[in-house]
Amino acid sequence: MKEKQKERNVVVETVARVMIPFIQLFALYVIIHGAGGPGGGFQGGVVFASAFILYVIAFNLAGGRERFPESANTIFSSLGLYIYAGIGLLAIIFSLGAAQYLNYGFIPFTSHFEENRALGMDFVEMGIGITVMAITASIFFDLAQKDGNGKEEEEEG
Amino acid sequence: MKSLRAIALILIFLLCGLFIYVAEDIPVFGDPEAPPIKSVKLFTMEVDQVVSLLDQHIVPEKLSRELVKRGFPPPSHIEKIPGIDGEWNAFIEKEEPHYAKEEKYYWIKKEGNNVSVSRYAFVVRWIEKGLKETAVPNMVTYGLADYRGYDTLGETTVIFTAGVSVILLLRRRSRL
Repeated sequence: MKEKQKERNVVVETVARVMIPFIQLFALYVIIHGAGGPGGGFQGGVVFASAFILYVIAFNLAGGRERFPESANTIFSSLGLYIYAGIGLLAIIFSLGAAQYLNYGFIPFTSHFEENRALGMDFVEMGIGITVMAITASIFFDLAQKDGNGKEEEEEG
Repeated sequence: MKSLRAIALILIFLLCGLFIYVAEDIPVFGDPEAPPIKSVKLFTMEVDQVVSLLDQHIVPEKLSRELVKRGFPPPSHIEKIPGIDGEWNAFIEKEEPHYAKEEKYYWIKKEGNNVSVSRYAFVVRWIEKGLKETAVPNMVTYGLADYRGYDTLGETTVIFTAGVSVILLLRRRSRL
């Protein structure tokens, strides 16, 4: 631990500390503005995960896992899919079986059919973003962990 | 080795040149009049009486027969394209699984002594109706999340499956 602290690079850490909030904000912007401009769930999710990757590169793996623990990661990775499939199911529930699965227009967010479709699309994009973010981070953390030294890293954290 | 590298470099330059040429050659993005996305030409037939019937908004018998012979649905009514002489839109009746309303389907144009009949590409409907139907200005997004919602659900499932596979293969030391 002490040896690693000597290797710390002040410039990299400072830049990462400044950049990470902006990267996350940009990721949320990309997800939310998927309807109006270029963007969407897949891209925004990957940008959000890149913030975690930058944190791990600048600081250490155990610290990154502390910020984004495994339990939360697993929950988030399935939560996005649940949101997507749940929005699809809401269309059936609110129309009492008249509408097809994933026909967002029948979910009464607003009074207009078309607005409902737009809002349903936004929620679906959020679900995609959450899943992509969690899965990308999960794959990165799993690949970055050394197989034999897993216990040592846990002790460090 | 050096000659191999020189050949590779030349190939890379050739590929770059090809890409630049292709990028210059493609039509303007989003041009609705570009031939590949506007329509598919079906057949041509002779003018006699067809044009006068089309101008009176009557569906010519001959046109319906030709279309049915080729396996396409017959048009239900004709409208003139405003502002252009000698071009008409033909609509087909609603057909439940695909078209919930009456649909603009054929594009008829007078070319000299012939009348050419084309079928509108699906892209035309995509561009014209998408904003009205979904209130989303980005046509990629309403394609991704609304018209092809099942596809995107499957894609998200693929990503989820990939992540779970990596967890099962690499994260052996702890529980899920």
